[in-house]
Amino acid sequence: MAFSATLETINDIAQITLSGDLDASSAGLFKAEIEKAAGQPVKHLVLLMKDLEYIASAGLRVLIFAKQKMGVHADIYVVGAQEMVLDTLEKTGFDQSVIVTDTYVIAA
Amino acid sequence: MMQTTQPIESSDMQFLTVPGVLDSLDEIAKFVIAATQAAGLDKKAAYRFRLAVDEIATNIIVHGYEETANEGDVTLQVELNEHTLTLILEDTAISYNPNQHDLPDQEDLNEPLEKRKIGGLGVYLAIQGVDKFMYERVGNRNRNIFVVNRPTD
Repeated sequence: MAFSATLETINDIAQITLSGDLDASSAGLFKAEIEKAAGQPVKHLVLLMKDLEYIASAGLRVLIFAKQKMGVHADIYVVGAQEMVLDTLEKTGFDQSVIVTDTYVIAA
Repeated sequence: MMQTTQPIESSDMQFLTVPGVLDSLDEIAKFVIAATQAAGLDKKAAYRFRLAVDEIATNIIVHGYEETANEGDVTLQVELNEHTLTLILEDTAISYNPNQHDLPDQEDLNEPLEKRKIGGLGVYLAIQGVDKFMYERVGNRNRNIFVVNRPTD
């Protein structure tokens, strides 16, 4: 399924909505949104993954890039990830470095 | 008991040849998903099988063809028998055996993301995702073989 990544920035929170299949042919789109988000100070990187159907290692490498680019103090939230996407994050230990949650509410 | 190899429904579903470029990953995924459906794999096994083939195909395209400025095809062949689904992935890029790749160990996988090494994750997911993974160099071709057991009734 075609991949899309849409960035929305609210103060120091960068929220990216991901959908479709994230593989090596689409990882560049995700990386470009991360680069845009990292242009300003970010405290929380919120990745809305409800409609993300698939993630390959090329997508995981963008998460490494995000952490290295935004610094250790930026927390990465993985929100509403589907079972198999979560399975891959767990298998590779990425679930230990991100905050896995069902919902994320931006405080007013 | 003798194992028989049966063709899956349509004969053109058994082979796929695509150019070795990243834009072919979508077509490869569709072909692999159709094979997992024909084999009756459950959701988890089907996803992991698709991931395994995708990761190795990506390595072939990126490291075998694009980075070496070589052009070539990627071919996939599916064999289904009573017990297993086998997918054979071939290319004519430089010799590369994923089984010799330095894979992340538990210590690496426990590292926080900011300290992670970039390489090895794809091959790790590929080998972990199937019941058997084999590599052969045949003439000028790399042959990667993925085998997954079919569910028993």
